[in-house]
Amino acid sequence: MLGIRKKILRWPQILQNCIRYKSHVKNHAYLRIGISLRALIFFSLFYIYLRFYVDLRFLYHGAGIITNFPVFYKGLPFFKTFLSYPGGLVEYVSAFLSQFFYYSWAGAFIVTVQAWLLGACMAYLRKTVNFSRLRGICYILPLFVLISYTRYTYFFTTTTALLAALIFAFLYFKVSLSRINPAGQTGIFLLLSVGLYYLAGGAFLLFAVICTVYELLFRNRWKTGLFYLLTAAVLPYVMGLIIFRVSVVNAYSDLLPFSWKILYYETRRRGVIFIYCLFLIPPAILLILGLWQLLLKRLRRLKEQSNTKTDKNRQVKSLNLIVRIFNWYRRSSKFRWIVETSLLLIVTGTAVFVSRKENLRTLLKVDYYAYHRMWPELIEAARNDPTNPLVVHSVNKALYNTSRLGYEMFSWPQDPDYLFLSNPAYRWHYWRNFDAYLDIGLVNMAENDLTECLEGLGDRPMILQRLVLINIVKANFDSARVYLNTLDKTLFYSKWAGKYLKLLETDPNCSTDKYIQHLRSISLDKDYCTQTIPIHTMLALLLEKNSRNRMAFEYLMACYMLERHLGNLIQNINRLKDFGYSQVPTHFEEACLTYVAGTGQRIRISGYRPSDSLRQRIDDFGRILHNYGSNKQAAYNELASKYGNTYFFYFLYGTSGTTE
Amino acid sequence: MTGLQEPDKVKKHNTKRAKYVYGLTGCAFLALALLYAIRSNEQVIMQYNDIDSPAEIRPEYYDTIIPPNIAPLNFVIQQEGSEYFVRIYSETGKPIKIFSRTGKITIPEQPWHNLLDLNRGRQLSMDIFVKSGSAAGASDTGKKQWSRFKTITNTIAKEDIDAFLVYRKIRPGHRTWREMGIYQRDLNNFHESLILDNGYFKHGCLNCHTFLQNKPDKMLIGIRSTDYGSAALLIEDGEVKKIGTKFGYSSWHPSGRQAFFSVNDVKLFLHSAANEVRDVIDFDSLVAYYLTDSGTVKTTSDLANSNCLETYPTWSPDGRYLYFCSAPITWTDRTIVPEEYDQIKYDLVRTDYDIDGGEWGPLETVLSAEDTGLSALLPRVSPDGRWLLFCMCNYGCFPVYQTSSDLYIIDLEDAEKTGRFEYHRLDINSDKSESWHSFSSNSRWIAFSSKRDYGVFTRIYLAYLNEDGTASKPIPLPQQDPTFYDSCLWTYSVPELIIRPVRITREKLGKVVRSLEKIPVEMPVTMATPKVGTLPSAGVTWRSERE
Repeated sequence: MLGIRKKILRWPQILQNCIRYKSHVKNHAYLRIGISLRALIFFSLFYIYLRFYVDLRFLYHGAGIITNFPVFYKGLPFFKTFLSYPGGLVEYVSAFLSQFFYYSWAGAFIVTVQAWLLGACMAYLRKTVNFSRLRGICYILPLFVLISYTRYTYFFTTTTALLAALIFAFLYFKVSLSRINPAGQTGIFLLLSVGLYYLAGGAFLLFAVICTVYELLFRNRWKTGLFYLLTAAVLPYVMGLIIFRVSVVNAYSDLLPFSWKILYYETRRRGVIFIYCLFLIPPAILLILGLWQLLLKRLRRLKEQSNTKTDKNRQVKSLNLIVRIFNWYRRSSKFRWIVETSLLLIVTGTAVFVSRKENLRTLLKVDYYAYHRMWPELIEAARNDPTNPLVVHSVNKALYNTSRLGYEMFSWPQDPDYLFLSNPAYRWHYWRNFDAYLDIGLVNMAENDLTECLEGLGDRPMILQRLVLINIVKANFDSARVYLNTLDKTLFYSKWAGKYLKLLETDPNCSTDKYIQHLRSISLDKDYCTQTIPIHTMLALLLEKNSRNRMAFEYLMACYMLERHLGNLIQNINRLKDFGYSQVPTHFEEACLTYVAGTGQRIRISGYRPSDSLRQRIDDFGRILHNYGSNKQAAYNELASKYGNTYFFYFLYGTSGTTE
Repeated sequence: MTGLQEPDKVKKHNTKRAKYVYGLTGCAFLALALLYAIRSNEQVIMQYNDIDSPAEIRPEYYDTIIPPNIAPLNFVIQQEGSEYFVRIYSETGKPIKIFSRTGKITIPEQPWHNLLDLNRGRQLSMDIFVKSGSAAGASDTGKKQWSRFKTITNTIAKEDIDAFLVYRKIRPGHRTWREMGIYQRDLNNFHESLILDNGYFKHGCLNCHTFLQNKPDKMLIGIRSTDYGSAALLIEDGEVKKIGTKFGYSSWHPSGRQAFFSVNDVKLFLHSAANEVRDVIDFDSLVAYYLTDSGTVKTTSDLANSNCLETYPTWSPDGRYLYFCSAPITWTDRTIVPEEYDQIKYDLVRTDYDIDGGEWGPLETVLSAEDTGLSALLPRVSPDGRWLLFCMCNYGCFPVYQTSSDLYIIDLEDAEKTGRFEYHRLDINSDKSESWHSFSSNSRWIAFSSKRDYGVFTRIYLAYLNEDGTASKPIPLPQQDPTFYDSCLWTYSVPELIIRPVRITREKLGKVVRSLEKIPVEMPVTMATPKVGTLPSAGVTWRSERE
C-alpha cells in the first residue's frame, strides 16, 4: 500500500520530468532546425555571391593571370598519367571538377559543396572532442575559401586535398570512437594514411597531425601519438621517394600550400596566406581545445582542493547581473539564433569586403569580354580601372571593334606601348597580345605568343583553338590536326574541334571558312626579323599586303599619333576614303590640326569637310595655353579638365583621359 | 526450447545452402571469365575478295627495314570497315593473328619478338583483311564481306638497334620553362622512364645530354636555373658532379678524359611571315674542353677564334679528329640581329689532336659553305668511323628551326683514300626539318628528329643505314597506342641511342642540381671570344632558347 501511495505521490514529478524531457527534445529539434537554417542561409548566400559577384567563369578564363588552372581530357590515357604519383587522383578529380567553372552556376555549386563539406568536417571534429560551444568554428574554413575566391586565386586542387585529409580524419575519428581495439585503430590509421597519401600526396601530413593531436591531447595515448608523428615523417619518404620515385621535396609538399609549385610563382603565391590558414586552422583548433580541456581539468582539481567558498560567493554576487543576462541570452534561443546568424553574416561580409580585389576583377572581366568579343561590356567594365595599361590595351581593341578608336581612344590614358604592349616590362605578357596580333594579320607573332602561353599556362582550350586557326591559315594542317585532336578530348570544345576536323576532311584548304579566308587575306607575307623592324613599319607592311585591312590602318594611325609622327599620319590620311569613313574621325582630325598648328603647312583631306567646331576647340585650347603665358605646367589643370580627352592635350602632355 | 531451436537450424541450413549456391555461381563466373580469357582468337576467313593495293595504314610501316629488337609496330588501318583482321608472318615461327573492330592493331609483345628474332634478315609480311559493305560483290546484296589487301612487307634487319633511346620532351614554345624533361625509352617495349625533369629543380631548363660511345656510364646534362645557376651534370660510374658552368653542345673525347663543348651566346628572334616562327642566331660562340681529372677548362685559338663562330664539336671514334662547325662573323654590332642573318653559313671543319701530347693540328675544311651554298651543322661520326652524318640548311646555326634542313652523309673511308670529302643527301629527307641525329653503337641505325608528319611537333624517327651509305625509309618511334602522336603536344628532340639504361636515380641527379656544391671552373686567359676569365652565366643574354 505504502509503495502504491509513494508511486501515486511521485506521479506529478514523473509528469514534470516528461514535460521537461519533451521540451528538451523540442528545444533540441529547434536547435537543429536553427543550425540547419543558418547553414542554409550561409551557403545560399555563399553560392549567390560566387555565382553572381565572383563569377567563376573569369577564373576558368584565367586571363593569363591564373597560371595553374588544370586541363582535363577525356579517356583512359589521360587518367593513367595521374595514377603514377601520390596526389594524382586528387589532381585528376580537381581537374575534372574545375572544368565546370566554365559555367558560373556549376562552378559556384561545386565550390559551395566543397566549402560545405569542409564546414561539416570541422563540425564533426568539434563534436568528436565534446566541445559543445563555439558552433561558429565550422564556418571558419568556408569563410577562408570564400576569401580566396574573392581574391581570384585558384587553389581548388589544394582545397580538395585538404577536404580529402579532413574526410580521412573524420573516418579515423569514427573508427576511434568504435569498439575496435587500440592495435586495430593503429592499423586502420596506417591503412588510411597509405590510402590518403596516394590520393592526396602531402596533404596526408595534415591528417597525421590531426590524428596525433587527437591521440595526445584527448585520448592521452602518448605512444600512439608519437607513432603517428613518426608515420607522418616516414610514409612520404617510403611511398613518395622509394615507391613512386618523386623528388624528396615533392614527396612531402605536393598539394600543400607550402609546395614550391605554388610559392615559386608570384601569380600563384597571391593569397596563399588564406590557404595556409585553411590548413592550419583544423589542427590549431584541435590543439587549443585539447589544451583548454586540460586546463579546465586542472582548474577543477584545484577548486576541489581549495575551500575558499566566501571568495567565490563574493565573486558570484559581483557577477550576478552579467550571469543573469548571459543566462537569459542562453535561454532565449530565437534571439540567440538571430544574434549569432547576424554576427556570422556580418563577419563574413566584412571579411569578403576587405579582401576583395576590384582591380584584378576588372582585369579578369575585361580579358574575358575581350576573348568573347563582348566589346560594349568590356568598355563598361574597363571604367573601373582605366589606368591599368593592360585594361587600356583591351579597350583599344574594343574601341576599334566598335568603330570608336578614332573618336574615343584619347578618352582613356594612352601610351605608345599600350597598342601592342611593346614595352619590355610586358615581355612575359604573352596572353595579352595574341588576339590583337591575330586580328590585325601578324599571324606569326600571335603564334609565338600562343605557343609560349601553351607552355606557361598549360594546354588551355582557348589557346589550342587559336593555334588551330593559325596553323590552318598557314596551311600547317598537320600541326592543326594535332591541336584539334587534343581539343577533341576536352569536355566543352570537342564539338568545335569536330567541326574543323570534318572541314579538314571535306575541304582540306578550308576555302569555305570565311574567317580563315579573312585571316589569310590580311596575314603578312613578307618575312622579316621582327626584332629589327618597328611596329609601325609592320603595320604599314600589313596595309601594303591588304589595303583593306582596316584594323592595320586604324592602329597605324593610332601608332603615329601616339608616337607623334604626324608627318606620317598626314601621308596616310587620304586613305580614309578607301575604308568608307563618312567623316574624319575626331582624333585623326585633331592630329591634322595639331600638325597644321605646328608646321604652318596647310593640308586638305579630299572628300571630307573640316569640322568648324574642332577648329574652335583648338583655338580655345591655344587661348587657354596663351593665358598661362604658354606655361604648360601652369595650364595643365584647366586643359586637363576641358581637353583631357583630345589629341591636342596628348600631343602637349603625353597623357590623356584626364577629363572626367 | 525446441521451438526456439528449430528456426535457428532452418536459418543455419538456409545460410549454408545460400553459401553453397553463391560459391557455385562465383565458380561458374570465374570459369566463364577464364574461358573467355583463354578463348582461341583463331579467325578463319573463308571467303574474301582480293584487292590489288595495300591497305592504308598509319604509321606507314611498310617497305622498310625494321630492327629485330624493336617494340611491336602497332598501327591503325585507315580503310573503312566494321571488322579487321591482320596476319603477321615470316618464313619461320608462329604467325600472329589479330582481330579488331576499330582498325587499331595492337600486336602482342612476346609473339612479336619471337617472330622477329627467328627471322632476322628475312621478310616480315602482313596480310590485312577488312570487312565492309563496300567490298566487291557486297554492295549488291548489302551484306558485308571481307576483303584482303595486298600483302605489306618489311625486312627484318640482322643487326639490333641499341636497346635504349634518350631524348628530351618539351613544348613547341619553351621560354617559361614550365615543363621539360629528359626521358629514356626501352626500344624493346613501350616503357618510358624519366631521367630528370625540371620539377626537380624548380622549373629550370635542362637540355643537351651527351654519352660516351653509346654507353650511359659517362654522361653530361646541361641545366640552367634561376635558383641553382647554370651547370653541367657530369655522371661518371654512378656518381654525379656539378660543374659550375653550362656546357652547350658537347662531345666526349673517346678516351673519356676530356669533354668538348660549345659556349654559345644565343639570341632568339621571330620571323614575321616564314612558316617557322622562331629562329636563333649565335652572337658569339666558341668551343672549349673540360679535363675531367683536373677539373679545368681549356681551348685553343682555332676553337675560339674571335672572328668566327665555332659550335657543334664532335669526335671521330678513334679520337684523332675533332669535327665542328665554324662561320665567320661578318657583322659588327653584336647586340642586334644583323639584317644579313640569312647569310650566316657554317663550314664543316676538323682538326687533329694528340690527347697525350696535347698537340693540335691545323684546321682543315671538310665542307665549305661557299661550295655548298648551305650551312653545315650538327656533325656526328658513326662509331665505326666510316660515316659522317650532318645537317645542311639554307643558313644559320639551328637546323630544327630550318624547314630546309636535311641530313647529308660523307664516306670518311672514301675521303681518306681520295682526299675529297664527297657528300650526298640521304633519301630519307622530307620537305620539313630533319635534325638531331645519332648513331647506334653498331653504326647500322640512326635516330633523328623530324617535323615531317606533325608540323611544329618534332618526332623521333629510326632508320637503317646500309653499308653503302643509303638509308631505309624511317619509321616513327613506335608507341603502344598507334594514334598517340595525333594529339601529343610534346616535341621530341636530341635522340641519343644507348646500349644500357641510365640507372642513376632522378632524385640523386636532382639533389646534385639543388646542392651548393659544385666544381668551379674558370676559362683560360688566352681565350679570345668571351671576356677573359669569365664564363657565361644564366643571365638574360645567355639564356638559350633552343629546342
